[in-house]
Order: sequence, then structure tokens, then C-alpha cells
Amino acid sequence: MFKKENYNKGKNGEEMAKIFLLEKGFNLIEMNYENVIGEIDLIMTDKDWLVFVEVKLKIGDKFGSPEEMINKRKLAQIKRVAESYLVLENDTIKNFKKYRIDAACIVLNEDQTLKRINHYMNI
Amino acid sequence: MLTKILSMANVGLKTENVDVEVNVAEKGFPGFGIVGLVSKAVEETKERVKTAIINSDLEFPTAKITVNLAPADVVKEGSAYDLPVAIGIISAIGEVVLPKEKAYFYGELSLDGSLRHTRGVFLLALLAKEEGVKNIFVPRMSANEASVVEDVNVYPVDNLKSLIRHLKGEKIIEPLKPIKVTEILSDITPEFDFSEILGQPQAKRALEIAAAGGHNIFMMGPPGSGKTMLARAMAGILPNLTERESLEVTKIYSLTGNIPPGGSLIRQRPFRSPHHTTSQIGLIGGGSNPHPGEISLAHRGVLFLDEFPEFGRNSLEALRQPLEDGYVCVSRAAGSVTFPAQFILVAAANPCPCGHLGDPKKECKCSNYQILNYQKKLSGPIMDRIDLHLIVPAVDVNNLMIDKEKIKGESSIEIKKRINEARKIQSERFKNLAHVHSNSDMKNSHLKEFAKLSDDANLFLKQAVNKFALSARSYFRLIKVARTIADLEKSEIIKEFHIAEALQYRVRGEN
Repeated sequence: MFKKENYNKGKNGEEMAKIFLLEKGFNLIEMNYENVIGEIDLIMTDKDWLVFVEVKLKIGDKFGSPEEMINKRKLAQIKRVAESYLVLENDTIKNFKKYRIDAACIVLNEDQTLKRINHYMNI
Repeated sequence: MLTKILSMANVGLKTENVDVEVNVAEKGFPGFGIVGLVSKAVEETKERVKTAIINSDLEFPTAKITVNLAPADVVKEGSAYDLPVAIGIISAIGEVVLPKEKAYFYGELSLDGSLRHTRGVFLLALLAKEEGVKNIFVPRMSANEASVVEDVNVYPVDNLKSLIRHLKGEKIIEPLKPIKVTEILSDITPEFDFSEILGQPQAKRALEIAAAGGHNIFMMGPPGSGKTMLARAMAGILPNLTERESLEVTKIYSLTGNIPPGGSLIRQRPFRSPHHTTSQIGLIGGGSNPHPGEISLAHRGVLFLDEFPEFGRNSLEALRQPLEDGYVCVSRAAGSVTFPAQFILVAAANPCPCGHLGDPKKECKCSNYQILNYQKKLSGPIMDRIDLHLIVPAVDVNNLMIDKEKIKGESSIEIKKRINEARKIQSERFKNLAHVHSNSDMKNSHLKEFAKLSDDANLFLKQAVNKFALSARSYFRLIKVARTIADLEKSEIIKEFHIAEALQYRVRGEN
């Protein structure tokens, strides 16, 4: 039951991040990409960059900031999935020579209203 | 914003400036990283600083924080970088403005923002004096160590909050009043008293000479004859530390964190008695990041090795060089470090494994082989470096019972008075020599000037050297002991009977 709840929250966050980045001029390639190695929340393009975006959402600040949740281990995992993506999906990415990993950190208030949304490039 | 804070690193007893550079970036993914060849304890600084800042009612910045400890090729050890890193972050976010005047920051933070006792504060104060930096900010618990160093304002800091208030100018922390070294070095009451030890007048005399001139002494005798008690009582007759000596000792103790919280200078001569299972490194010093051993902790004091032959052979033989030079040079892959080790070696041993060899009342049960094996540990080179060889015979218990008052000897205070006077003569004699404090510190080249022999004494010495086939080192050490005996009698020239007394302590070991 809780799992489902968290899953929905995460979906919510990814939706918010997607809208936020689209407004910034990014283009969406894929959402919730998944393969055997893992998943990536958002795959987008920013001018001539191919961008892998990790989205973190937190409600309230009781359990720390979303930034704290993205540590070296998490980053290494995203990198691994991204590399496998580059190998497996050769057709979609052949126009791009530059890749990077971004993070979108969202904090909601207890009443589900948006407190802040931050976008970090090339973490 | 980028800020730079001054702090200190130490390699052995040598200190070095460390620039703690803190950058709180406006862009970039938030995080907290420390670079600059840091050890594990410094890695953990991150958690302490973060929590301490939050618990001091400040907001920890959500930004990319990079800390660099420069120069990057010196290993940074310990927890003392907590304070400079915290102050760096707080000033980088514009919470406080750093003072214009250069200042050192040094100390370990507790999670609640208070500062803990940190080792090495005394060394920091000396560095500040050397570098001409006027102000140092250190934990209050350690500040007394620094307050004896002249020309340095020592600010005792209780916690991060009070330091922030000070830097903002809201509530000024008063610097500590400088303490005069001579004020501290006054009276110390001895723990053990010589009058408690019954009999053994010869041993007491030898210990008096050893204490007066800083000579090494070796006691051999059956179990229960009072060797250990005599050695422990010796702590009570050691001469008072001089100002120079106290600073030297404090340096080592501050480095190893052996000064208790709130403590200041070391006022008593150290008396170290390591157990015979002590490892070679524990005794001499060493480790991948060289650390002083027992011989350096006994600097300007006594190193008492009870059950001398039970120590590892390697440990004992490693004593040779420091016994001669008064310092020990420890070289490791990380670098080479010199620690001072000018100590009085007091060694005690039984004559054989059962302990009764040569005892008139009890029979020795050891085989020749056992005895040989036991005495093999007392190698020639080590024994040659010991000036006073002493046999402590078993005490006749009947004598103890009859009249205690009759055989009661002098008290430690009386003996100490004589020793202090002898030391006074010595410090007057060596006042122009930086590293010579007592007769035993004299180099052979000094003997000509400071140890003048009467004609009789010279002749006597020549005969003795030939008769007992003394080594060159023994010859010089003999003169040094005679010098001390003459000093105890306030005689400027060394006379025949001074040499004779010195000789009797020497010759026993030669046989």
C-alpha cells in the first residue's frame, strides 16, 4: 500500500519536473526509461545535449533535502543506466554528441503545494 | 564566495601553516567535499561541522561547498580543522566578517557547537609566535597550554555561537592573561619519600648522583630488596624543571594529547615506567605517521625499565643510539621525524631467573645455561652506556624490626635540596650551551673546559683506565659522573676521591 503511494508521488514529481523543463526549452525523448540495469526518470534534449534527468521529490523537510538523497552511489547507478541506454538505443541518439546528467529536486509543503523546484546541470 | 583561514599541521614536532580555503559556490549541485591529503578523522569533519553549524542556530548552506587544505602534499591528521572549516563556511555565507588581523583557528567541534580539548595547542602558540601572528582562537579547555607563550593573544572559545558573537563585535571574548612560566614551576610535593625506604644507603647515594647529573643507572639485586621502590622514590628527588626544559617537555606532551583538559605546562619531570611487554615502536616511537615513544615521553625525566632483561632484545638494543645522542630519528615512508629523548635510564634486574644468584641466604636454583641466557640481554653496548652500576643486596628483615628510627634515612626533601643546588651549578656552567642542561648532556669536547681534574685525580684515572681496561666511552662517562659528585660537594675541581667514587660504580659492571 505504501509502495503504491510512493510510486504515485514519484510519478507526480516526474510530471512536475517534465513540465518545468519543457518550459525551459527542453524536449522530451522518453519518460521512465527502463531496462535490465535500471531506470532513468527523464531523458530529454537541451539544444545539442542529450540530458538524463534524475528527479527527486520530498514532502516537507523532516527527512532532509532531496539533494542529500543523490549521493555518489546513486550517481554511479544513473551513469550505468545512461551508458547502457547509449549502447542499446543507438538510433535515437545518433544526432547527439554531448551527454550529461542533470538533477531536478522538488520540495512540496505538507499540503502538497509546491515549495521549490531546483534544476542542477551536469551534477 | 571564497574565504581563507589560517591553521596548523604538524609532522612530528615540526609545525607548518595550513591554509583552509573554503568555497561556497553559487552554482552547482549541492554537496560538501574536503580535499588536500586528509586522513579519515578529517573526512569526518564534514559531519561535525554541518551538525555544529545547524545546532548553533544557523542555516547550513544548500550549495556546493569545497574545502581545500593547502599545502596539498602534507598529510592532515586529527580533528583540529573543525573550527577553521566551520568559521570558513560561516564567513563565506556572509554571516560574519573575518578580522583583518591574521589569526589562527584551531579546535575540534562537538555536535552541539561547543569546542573540545584538542591536542597540539601549545605547538600552535609557538608557531604563531614564530610567524608573528598575534591572535589565536582555540578551545577554552586547551587555552591554558598556549597562555605561557609570550606575545600571543590567546582567545579561549567556548562554542561556535560565542565565537560568532565575538567576530560580529557583539560580545567580545577576553584574551587569556599570559602566565609566567616561573610562577607555575614552584613547589611540588613528592609522592614517595626516601625516608620510607629502610637501609640501602649505597643505593640512595647512587640515585642521588644519578638525579643530580642526569646519569643512567642500573640496579641489580634479588627480588624484594627494594629496587622498584627506590626507583619510584627517585621521582621525588628529581630536580625542578627549568623553564627551557619545561617548554621542551610540554611540546611533546601537547603533541601526544597527554595534557589534561585545562592543563598548562608540564611542571614535573616525567617518570615513565613502561611494562616489559611494550613493543619496540611503543618504546622508541614510530608508526606510519611517526609518533613519539616512551623514551621521548620520558624526555628530561626518568625512564624506568623494571625487569630489564624481560624486555624484548630488539627494544633494548634500539635504546643504544638515543642513549648516546639524546634524540631519536624515526624514518618511515611518510617522512623522517626527530624526537628528543634526553632521559635518565633507570634499569632494574634480578641477577638470574630465580633471582637469588649471589644471595648469601638463599640458594640459586638456575642452571649455568639459564643464567647465561638471562644475562645475555644485558649486552656490552647497553651496559657501557650506563654510568652507575649498582648492586642492591637483600635487606636483613631482622634489622627492619628492631629500630626503625635508627636506620631511617634522610627525607626526599633534604636530598632534593642538595640536588637542586648541584643542578644550579650545572645550569650556570652550561648557560651558553643550548642543548646541554646537565653533566650527562656534555659532549666529550666540553670536558676539557668544564671538567678540570686535579693532578692526583689525573694520575689515578690513568691507572684505573689501564687496570680495568675501560673503553673510551667509559672513560668520558666516568669523568662526567665524577663531575657530578664534585658538584654535589660544590667543588670546582674534580679531586681524586671524586674519581674513586665514580669508578666504584663503573667497575662493577665491567666484571
